[in-house]
Amino acid sequence: MTHEEHHGEAGERSQEAAIVLPGPTFWPLVIAFGITLLLAGIVTHWAVGVVGLIVTFRAAVGWWHNVIPIEEHEEVPIDPELRPAPIQVEQRSVVRLRAGESGHRVRIPERIHPYSSGLWGGLAGGVAMAAIACLYGLVAQHSIWYPINLLAGVVIPGMGDQTVEQLRHFQMLPFFAALIGHGIISILVGIVYAVILPMFPKYAPFWAGILMPLFWSGLVATTLSVINPVMNERINWPWFVVAQLGFGLVGGYFIARSTSIRTMQTWTLAERAFVEAPGLHQPDEGKHG
Amino acid sequence: MAQDNVIAADALQMEREWKLPDRGTIGVIFLIITETALFTMFVAADLIYIGKSLTGPYPKDVLEMPIIATVCLLSSSGTIVFAEHALRRNDLGKFKIWWLVTILLGLYFLYATGAEWHKLIYEDHLTIATNLFGTTFYSLVGLHASHVVVGMTFLLIVFITTIFGFPIQTQERRVKFLSWYWHFFDWVWVIVFTVVYILPLKVF
Amino acid sequence: MASIDYPLEHPKAEALTPEFSFSESLYKWVATVDHKRLGLMYVVSALVFLVIAGIMASVIRMQLAFPLNHVVGPDTFNRLFTMHGTTMVFLVGMPMVAGFSVYLIPLMIGTRDMAFPRLNAFGFWIFLLGGCLLYFSYIGGGGLSGDGSAPDVGWFAYAPLTEKAFSRGAATDYWALGVLLSGVGSIVTALNVIATTFCMRCPGMTLSRMPMFVWVMLIDAWLVLVALPPLSAAQIMLELDRHLGANFFDTQAGGSAVLWQHLFWIFGHPEVYILIFPAFAILSEVIPVFSRKPLFGRPAMVGAVTAIGFISLGVWAHHMFAIGMTSWSNTFFAASSMLVGVPTGIKIFNWTATMYGGKLRMQTPLLFCIAFLLQFLVAGLTGIMLAVAPFDWQLHDSYFVVAHFHFTLVGGLVFGLFAGMYYWFPKVSGKMLDEKLGKWHFWLFCIGFNMTFLTLHFAGFLGMPRRIYTYYPGRGWDAINLIASLGVIPQAAGILCFVWNIIRSSLRGIPAGDDPWDAWTLEWATTSPPPEYNFEKLPVVRSSRPLWDLKHPQDPDWKYE
Repeated sequence: MTHEEHHGEAGERSQEAAIVLPGPTFWPLVIAFGITLLLAGIVTHWAVGVVGLIVTFRAAVGWWHNVIPIEEHEEVPIDPELRPAPIQVEQRSVVRLRAGESGHRVRIPERIHPYSSGLWGGLAGGVAMAAIACLYGLVAQHSIWYPINLLAGVVIPGMGDQTVEQLRHFQMLPFFAALIGHGIISILVGIVYAVILPMFPKYAPFWAGILMPLFWSGLVATTLSVINPVMNERINWPWFVVAQLGFGLVGGYFIARSTSIRTMQTWTLAERAFVEAPGLHQPDEGKHG
Repeated sequence: MAQDNVIAADALQMEREWKLPDRGTIGVIFLIITETALFTMFVAADLIYIGKSLTGPYPKDVLEMPIIATVCLLSSSGTIVFAEHALRRNDLGKFKIWWLVTILLGLYFLYATGAEWHKLIYEDHLTIATNLFGTTFYSLVGLHASHVVVGMTFLLIVFITTIFGFPIQTQERRVKFLSWYWHFFDWVWVIVFTVVYILPLKVF
Repeated sequence: MASIDYPLEHPKAEALTPEFSFSESLYKWVATVDHKRLGLMYVVSALVFLVIAGIMASVIRMQLAFPLNHVVGPDTFNRLFTMHGTTMVFLVGMPMVAGFSVYLIPLMIGTRDMAFPRLNAFGFWIFLLGGCLLYFSYIGGGGLSGDGSAPDVGWFAYAPLTEKAFSRGAATDYWALGVLLSGVGSIVTALNVIATTFCMRCPGMTLSRMPMFVWVMLIDAWLVLVALPPLSAAQIMLELDRHLGANFFDTQAGGSAVLWQHLFWIFGHPEVYILIFPAFAILSEVIPVFSRKPLFGRPAMVGAVTAIGFISLGVWAHHMFAIGMTSWSNTFFAASSMLVGVPTGIKIFNWTATMYGGKLRMQTPLLFCIAFLLQFLVAGLTGIMLAVAPFDWQLHDSYFVVAHFHFTLVGGLVFGLFAGMYYWFPKVSGKMLDEKLGKWHFWLFCIGFNMTFLTLHFAGFLGMPRRIYTYYPGRGWDAINLIASLGVIPQAAGILCFVWNIIRSSLRGIPAGDDPWDAWTLEWATTSPPPEYNFEKLPVVRSSRPLWDLKHPQDPDWKYE
């Protein structure tokens, strides 16, 4: 577009009588036809291709003269009949939605426990659980090593071949395997606790201390035969559940005791998504004067 | 009302400051991108089939490096820049000379390709149907050469019309785009040369 | 202007149409370089091809309705599914992409025509003539240089079946050349779209203020530009093989049939994104307007569509899990294919979030959009299932795959296109489409579509392979196939409603006025249909919703952007 353009609001009228537009031409059609014939020549007869070549050449020359030295154009008169209707101004104002308004609840907790509390809570719960398990060992088998050796059956093959007498004795490798495995799982579960506890609407200690350990015990009960057959054969379920409850109560207590921190949830939805959509932000009054 | 005036003044200023890229520039850049995609597929096919021919003749038996033709084509990329500079300074005499040099260099390249094909076909009996080497060689070099022919046609048209007094200064923008196209296919030749000549002859 | 449920009437919509003689008006259409006329011709020819390919699909379903049926023979069946697929992808999907972008982009960015108006006309004609060449194979295929009729090698034309030794006659050549020509049309149109969006925007229309439609179609054009040349390259190689005896795909001479698959799918997978993008673009305009809310998360939408535009170039080999690639390739392409699900999911969430809390106007365009969201979700999920290589080994080339991609292309693309046609028909013709017929169209088509393709998932699970022309009874496929075939009836009835609606409404529909939907983008700021020059004065915009700014001078968008 080489000619002078004047811009205005959408739908505004122009002072000029006509508008310059590219002029109509059929050379693009002819050249397309020529190229088609050229290719059709491959599958039909070479003569078709020759005709196509001639047509293409003629059309290329025609197109060339369309654009060189200057592009062909026509003047289209402005038709007053074709003026858009004036845009109707709407007086209604739009109410902006803000976070925290009644009727729009924030679904994800605004405050959470730090992940570090999950770490320490998990470790504390793990100690509590281990203590209960060892107590069980002392009471039932007169050895604190018995439950530890059983736990090591998760990773060490062949533990199942040992006699009860062997299981009662301290063994170096199973001890460390059990220690590391128990520690890692305790920390992971602790962190999961820290993340999900604030999502429960009420009675977090109840969920954490009682129900979650019961769910976990149920899950273990259905899968233990696969993951640790050694333990599955010798497990004492009441003691197991008590040990889980010990983990839940101690870990949950540690986590709940920590100071909670604010999340991005307290930001507006738009700020959090780094989204800039009209109406989601407070208008910056100073910005546009 | 005061606000309306502010908006109207704002519109004028926006209009004045409004700058957009030239449509020809964008058009040529994206044309080159789409051509690159086309060439990439042929180059990939060539690379996959290096050394996979079941029967001869093999590249090492028949292929010679077209060093002179390559130098000609690549230097034509420089001469067309000189021609463009001359045109920008409105120095038509220099423009015609450099343009003619570009054309001659390009024509020599096309002649060298033709001579090479003639030798391969009639002396070495390598055609596109002989083996995979023939297939990939003729299709990739041929694809490049056909683009050079298109570029050459435009170069010749510019030259001939200018000789007959067409005011080429008015078409400086279009000449620039033609030279971009020419540069691109000069430098595609570097890739074709590497894939077709250097890799089979020197590496594999 | 409270909530608008009916179009505003105003007298100017009944513009005087000057009388032209037949040859004059023919010249006006044939020689035109006007983007609106070309866009219309694109969409109309695509609709014609849609009906043709739809009839082919109906015959296919008739054949498969009963076990050991004999409506058509195996040869005809091969031709039918080949021509159905090729037509739908290259002669319906691609011109729809081109038609919608060519018609709407100049209007939406406030300019008078495309950057290269003559190239625009060339793109249309070469697409149309390419399509004609493809269909000429029905009469020309058995002509001068061999026997055989329409192409019968599948829309993907796998080598070495397409080689001269196995595919004699000229039918395969017609496929390669016809599609090559229409591919050239698509490439030049994409080039034009990119140049137009970069170089022709009206003052103030920065990239960040561009309508979402234009953004999506810009990325779509980018994909066409880099994905179509590999197909052209493959077709050139195929023609070299067939006519000059080259050995690209000739396994006897050491060539590789797998190379064809790679080249084809390097094109083919981006192609499905090319086809679905117009639907994305249309939804991004229709859903906000019919929810009376701005599009949720615009920057995220732009980011997502750009991400798809690049990731989709690196996923092609998930179509080829069954050819025995290395497990590293399998892992790479499975992972990259799943990765595309992330930006696509972002888009689904953003459209849903746009509707959430909005004041929904349950009119036909929005109905099609809602059906799109649900059906495209199913398509996306089955797509992720198929991206898992072992799952794909199980169901490769089964009707599960057929159901999956028909859910993307019909449940997604076609529903999106219908939404777009109901939305922009008033702008194009100046008349409203009838709402009652539109609802009939929607419900018939939606029910019929799900009857056919939801059921075909189960045929796939039960082991029914693709492309078989008949099957024995008692394999558990009988009832499913019958239901799927019966689904054709409501779909065809829906299409008839649509065609009748278009004809009736163009003749005596309610005048639409300039802005029947109370929308916010620039195309609604001019008359319906727009004058040849689009705008008397090119507009100046200050936000992504210029019409909103003009309608609400007290509360314009640019205060917030």
